Amino acid sequence: MKAGKIRLKDIGKPSDQMVKLNPADFMRLPYPYDKADSDPDFKQLTEDQKKRYEASLDGVLAISIPKPETKGEEDELVRKFLSGLEKLLTKENNWTFLQPLSLSLEYCAKCQTCNEACPIYTGSGKQEIYRPTYRSEVLRAIVNKYIKKGGKTFAKFSGNDIDLNWTTVARLAELAYRCTLCRRCAQTCPIGVDNGLITHELRKLFSQEMGIAPVEIHTLGSMKHLKAGSSTGLMPVALKDTIEFLEDDIKDRTGLDIKFPMDKEGADILLIHNAGEFLSWPENPMAFAIIFEAAGLNWTLSSDLLGYDAVNYGLWYDDVQFARVAVRHAQIAKKLGVKKIVIGECGHAHKAISVIADRIITGEINIPRESSYTLLEDIVCNGKLNLDPKKNDFPVTLHDPCNVTRLMGVVEPQRRVIRKICPQFREMEPHGVKNYCCGGGSGFAIMPSMNFPDWRTRISGRMKFKQILDAFQDVIDPSINKMVCAPCSNCKGAIREILNHYNAWEKCGISYTGLVEFIVNAMVDIKEPYIEWPEM
Amino acid sequence: MPQIEIGGKTYEVDEDGFLQELDKWSKEFAQGYAAVEGIEGELTEDHWKLINYIRDYYTQYGIAPMIRKLCKDCDFKLKYIYEMFPSGPAKGACKLAGLSKPTGCV
Repeated sequence: MKAGKIRLKDIGKPSDQMVKLNPADFMRLPYPYDKADSDPDFKQLTEDQKKRYEASLDGVLAISIPKPETKGEEDELVRKFLSGLEKLLTKENNWTFLQPLSLSLEYCAKCQTCNEACPIYTGSGKQEIYRPTYRSEVLRAIVNKYIKKGGKTFAKFSGNDIDLNWTTVARLAELAYRCTLCRRCAQTCPIGVDNGLITHELRKLFSQEMGIAPVEIHTLGSMKHLKAGSSTGLMPVALKDTIEFLEDDIKDRTGLDIKFPMDKEGADILLIHNAGEFLSWPENPMAFAIIFEAAGLNWTLSSDLLGYDAVNYGLWYDDVQFARVAVRHAQIAKKLGVKKIVIGECGHAHKAISVIADRIITGEINIPRESSYTLLEDIVCNGKLNLDPKKNDFPVTLHDPCNVTRLMGVVEPQRRVIRKICPQFREMEPHGVKNYCCGGGSGFAIMPSMNFPDWRTRISGRMKFKQILDAFQDVIDPSINKMVCAPCSNCKGAIREILNHYNAWEKCGISYTGLVEFIVNAMVDIKEPYIEWPEM
Repeated sequence: MPQIEIGGKTYEVDEDGFLQELDKWSKEFAQGYAAVEGIEGELTEDHWKLINYIRDYYTQYGIAPMIRKLCKDCDFKLKYIYEMFPSGPAKGACKLAGLSKPTGCV
């Protein structure tokens, strides 16, 4: 189906697949990916997978809802959706977000200004169903028809007479996972309508009322986090082994004898990393330790369950799960008697604990929370380390994690660090609060099943890849090593997959890392280069 | 739940081919699965060294080892691991070792 020919009510009309994705429609990429044939076919689900799961939206699976076996089951799910929607619109059941949700549902003027701001809509070649307002307009039409008084009569005349059947509900559930909650649409809206929030509230309805959520985010995500201590499954005993390894590795690489302070009561700072760093990017927590020790900070890590994993996946889909984790983080810090929590390089953890949790971390468990970016700025820009920028003399660009920049307005601290120590720094355009998402936001980076990674890399991450290539066009030759600085675990994971998919290291010499790695790489006292480039 | 058949035995796997139960693993499973992962012929001594290391670590700590540690402890370069397991340590070697898919922001 061609873009523009899909109407709102088509979402309720059963068919094998509402939209068929064709790479020829996708936004064109810059050199050396500007030829259509450098973009191979989009991965398809197997016939067996299509038979078992609800995949009739776009042939992509993010949440993999098993197909109901009977009409009765379908009707029950539709009933649950409608009762959940009613609850979502009442204060006693949704005190957290009812006001912005109601305002966004009531006041959209349908000017469609936000469409062009959305990297998924534009990256996909303007697929109608990915329009940030499409999902919201469907939901609005359902509310108007099925919840408002006299809605059914009015719907017949409005042209938006959506049939609320199981097809509609199942497609809407998948569609709630075709948006990274980057909120670029909300930023550009002339009257502040937040389509990202509407998506978030839809996810919440599906999770809290119907038990429908991606397995990686719920069962293997926030549930595992609460039970094992980390969504990665890293338990305290494995953390201990990991830390010992990191200490040895620091010694091997730098000659420094550093002991990670663990559970140190009364320290000034409790540093909480995204635990994915320990497993996939250990150079990041190692660099933090090197910098904090060299700057003479009084800091500690926690080995308490949850105290060593800053993630809070509930932020993306479930208020209850969110609150459980946020409160636990604050309690751990209080128990240790630290002065503040410092959040490592994890974007959604920034938003979770420093902004959204503000309404639950109150009274006795209220504790100051700070971004690592501002702390690092103080260390680097106030001369607490002996740094030589010449050690970072290669082209560098900076990715802005949406949750830290657009949401919290932390734009300059990380830039002052990079400008001071990376002489060949160049910005992506646009950047700062107008940045584009890495494509992995709202959990997408950690959803590696079936063809969802393909969708993420090819569509939601497409604009980011274009920005990276554009930033390096003058030095695109693969013999020139270039680095993307992405100070967020989730963003790093998404960017890693994009660069791997396009063989961007082999073809363009582009690699990626976090922020602290550049600082250690510039330290005069450390003789060997700290930043490692991929092996050829 | 999808199943795969290797050497006359049926195994339950997830949608991406990761074994669901660690204790159902056998050497035949690893050898049989090798071809699916683009490994030709018999698994070598180095393949087994890596697979056994991953399984031992998992048994002790309930998680796959970080790649950096795995390289150091087995004395393999990452590039060599990719030569042995073309889909890489996480997607290839861990799959043959019978581990479930990694979770969290990794």
